Amino acid sequence: MAQPLVKKDDDRDDEAEYSPFLGIEKGAVLQEARVFNDPQLDPRRCSQVITKLLYLLNQGETFTKVEATEVFFAVTKLFQSRDIGLRRMVYLMIKELSPSADEVIIVTSSLMKDMNSKTDMYRANAIRVLCRITDGTLLTQIERYLKQAIVDKNPVVASAALVSGIHLLQTNPEIVKRWSNEVQEAVQSRAALVQFHALGLLHQIRQNDRLAVSKLVTSLTRGTVRSPLAQCLLIRYTSQVIRESATSTQTGDRPFYDFLEGCLRHKAEMVIFEAARAITELNGVTSRELTPAITVLQLFLSSSKPVLRFAAVRTLNKVAMTHPMAVTNCNIDMESLISDQNRSIATLAITTLLKTGNESSVERLMKQITNFMSDIADEFKIVVVEAIRSLCLKFPLKYRSLMNFLSNILREEGGFEYKKAIVDSIVILIRDIPDAKESGLLHLCEFIEDCEFTYLSTQILHFLGIEGPKTSDPSKYIRYIYNRVHLENATVRASAVSTLAKFGAMVDSLKPRIFVLLRRCLFDSDDEVRDRATLYLNTLGGDGSVVETDKDVKDFLFGSLDLPLVNFETSLKNYEPSEEPFDINSVPKEIKSQPLAEKKAPGKKPTGLGAPPTAPASTVDAYEKLLSAIPEFADFGKLFKSSAPVELTEAETEYSVNVVKHIFDGHVVFQYNCTNTIPEQLLEQVTVVVDASEAEEFSQVVTKPLRALPYDTPGQIFVAFEKPEGVPAVGKFSNMLRFTVKEVDTTTGEAEEDGVEDEYQLEDLEVVAADYMLRVGVSNFRNAWENMGADCERVDEYGLGPRESLTEAVNAVINLLGMQPCEGTEVVPSNSRSHTSLLSGVYIGNVRVLVRIAFGIDGPKEVAMKLAVRSEDEAVSDAIHEIVASG
Amino acid sequence: MLLALLISNSVGNILVERYHGVPAEERLHWRSFLVKLGADNLKGAKNEELLVASHKSVYIVYTVLGDVSVYVVGKDEYDELALAEVIFVITSTIKDVCGKLPSERLFLDKYGKICQCLDEIVWTGILENTDKDRIKRLIRLKPPAEF
Repeated sequence: MAQPLVKKDDDRDDEAEYSPFLGIEKGAVLQEARVFNDPQLDPRRCSQVITKLLYLLNQGETFTKVEATEVFFAVTKLFQSRDIGLRRMVYLMIKELSPSADEVIIVTSSLMKDMNSKTDMYRANAIRVLCRITDGTLLTQIERYLKQAIVDKNPVVASAALVSGIHLLQTNPEIVKRWSNEVQEAVQSRAALVQFHALGLLHQIRQNDRLAVSKLVTSLTRGTVRSPLAQCLLIRYTSQVIRESATSTQTGDRPFYDFLEGCLRHKAEMVIFEAARAITELNGVTSRELTPAITVLQLFLSSSKPVLRFAAVRTLNKVAMTHPMAVTNCNIDMESLISDQNRSIATLAITTLLKTGNESSVERLMKQITNFMSDIADEFKIVVVEAIRSLCLKFPLKYRSLMNFLSNILREEGGFEYKKAIVDSIVILIRDIPDAKESGLLHLCEFIEDCEFTYLSTQILHFLGIEGPKTSDPSKYIRYIYNRVHLENATVRASAVSTLAKFGAMVDSLKPRIFVLLRRCLFDSDDEVRDRATLYLNTLGGDGSVVETDKDVKDFLFGSLDLPLVNFETSLKNYEPSEEPFDINSVPKEIKSQPLAEKKAPGKKPTGLGAPPTAPASTVDAYEKLLSAIPEFADFGKLFKSSAPVELTEAETEYSVNVVKHIFDGHVVFQYNCTNTIPEQLLEQVTVVVDASEAEEFSQVVTKPLRALPYDTPGQIFVAFEKPEGVPAVGKFSNMLRFTVKEVDTTTGEAEEDGVEDEYQLEDLEVVAADYMLRVGVSNFRNAWENMGADCERVDEYGLGPRESLTEAVNAVINLLGMQPCEGTEVVPSNSRSHTSLLSGVYIGNVRVLVRIAFGIDGPKEVAMKLAVRSEDEAVSDAIHEIVASG
Repeated sequence: MLLALLISNSVGNILVERYHGVPAEERLHWRSFLVKLGADNLKGAKNEELLVASHKSVYIVYTVLGDVSVYVVGKDEYDELALAEVIFVITSTIKDVCGKLPSERLFLDKYGKICQCLDEIVWTGILENTDKDRIKRLIRLKPPAEF
């Protein structure tokens, strides 16, 4: 609530010290509202009372149903007054009160009268009020007037009707859609704001009709748009049209690009920005297209207006994610923004610099950031931490200074989310950069010595249990872990016990000492801690002597729970305590619907603790579990690779199907993820008929059809093929979905007895050479290259023919090979004539492969490359050359 | 969509608060978030100097005007630049109504009129009028001068 003003300095002029609403109280104001009922209305007094009511409502005060009704009825009496100021207040008040449907009737006739009034402004306001309080039936009654109002000469009336239309489209779309002729006319209005509102409404009405939107854009980009706001909308709609038509016009000039580029010279900054942003977000934007947009954005970086600086740096930040080289020209301007008073701008500048910086600038940047970190809020710090994590993965050689930075900020004050972001980052760096492991683990150990967050302590302990025993000197971590048993709460103590047990299981020489520590835990005050200690003492075996731990015990300690947690939970809930112990084998292993990881995997940020190592691996884990639950695939051996889902249907078709290719040594399994998007249908006996006539080396061995595919419940069909073992066979497969379709009564949800057999053609699918390559990076390419040696090196030169740009050629080769680019070498600096990419991967049969490709481009865009392959097996080196030669 | 318009006094008490498309249960969070944002950053800011922030996919532009702080929150087409336009209309209208930079007292004295102006500027989350002279006429139910 607002409080009375604090007493001001004496020398301030004589404004009264107290708020006019001092001591305002709802009951009293409601009493005062009785003046609305006076036969002789006092407009001034009535306006004052309404102001008080508005003040109360704006303070979050609420009226009970009775109070609101009473006020509403009283306010409607004020329509009798002819005082203009009071009428304006009445309109406002009715909107604020939002009367219920049964009350609206009282005021409808007065408003209808105003809506037909000769006074334009009565019309405009009455429209706004009516549309706010109206329902469908009333709307059909006033529709005629609204259509007239849209094309009213008075811009205020037209705008009122158009904005009401935007509002009503949410609740009564079928009515508003009937106004499109009038709205179309309003788009041509000479009044700037009318055009803006009309354009917004017209686009919303037609948004699902691509052709109509395209026509709208085509006509408006040729004509004149009066308001900068409307011009911005037009640019947005234009980008939408470009996006949707992009696929068909890959080769030629991009449609509407000239329009966007022209907008970069508009006089309104808002329009310039919108155009620059639209250009930077074009699919597959080329550096030639980007340059003019980046140039205007760079100018705005040094603008005196913070909003412009913010908008510029925000856009460049986004560009830096996909085209870091295009942004490097702006680095100097951006560095000066690090000290910008507006911390949002400074944070964006820093994170952009982190994305565009090169290896040599890392140290300098880190110095600047250190000063900056102390005076920003946690949410900004998290953004910076995430940017540093990406930078470190990009330049693994710089891990030392970046890891030090992370450990320093870990020691400083901060909230949970911030600390979690730092810990997650350290964990990811440990996993991805082997050299960083030992120092990273020690930083985490030091952190848990003084960590106030139970969640983080337990997660770090869990991680230590997995990674610690694999280090050169595991014993040095024991002290930190055992300290937890003395100093922390029960949850952390229990985690520490588990971690100790893992060290005991993995490091035989430590086992006797771990036993001593675990025995001490038997006297803990908490039963979970004691139980764990007892359990581990019994399972580790050997009674504390230096013996090797059983494989079963290791599996028990380190293996993942091979059950879907949901199923496990249900089974446990259904279990009734009895003589018979709970049997874990009774838990069903089948996963009912598509695994979540698969849906979320693209674009998912790598999570740190708690998740299995890095995002792709977590998907692989999910797939492995899924496949291992199917007995027919049991003898296929270990899953080598699962591809990203490939769509076999277009978006928004009746049935949506994508496929994941699972590669095994001697087999390939296609997992068809199917979704039925028609509520009125139930599909049964769903299978995919695969024609492998263009894939000679493959022969179909198993098909696992789907018994039923109800609406909106994804299901999976599997088809397995045998192929020559260890051979990277390729081929093309055509697919047909075959099923029995049954009508479903959507009201009861019951399906009819009889169904009809039907088929649905899916897109073709290819198994390509890249499917046999795992994208696995190396932290230090040069070391890895030297270590691999030149024994199995194969070098050859290739001409790639005419190409759009060097970048396009580099990406094509990387995609062809399916390998992981290292050290940021997938990015080609703009205007380069030559470039070297370093790639790493693991080829089927677990053979590590490193590739060094030198690209060059000459005048007529002819690209040539020299490909050097090193691997542990010369046959594999040859195979890589074959992929390129045949690709 | 213009999600929120909030005006507070110098110590963070709310004077005007309007939301559109923000669920009731989230409003309190927004209120405290904005007030904290102002408390952290508006100290020492010049009158009408715009500050800007983004939170998830939502943009915030805010400023100080005499004794009051003004915040606008938007998303989609109401990005930081459109919001700058909105806040410019709001501040110039308030100055116009008050006749000078508003003290809190002056703002509250003109409260009814300011509410009417805001109603002309932003309605159901959409920017409706951008010209202070026109708004001045509209609240007196006079048609725009150029018409």
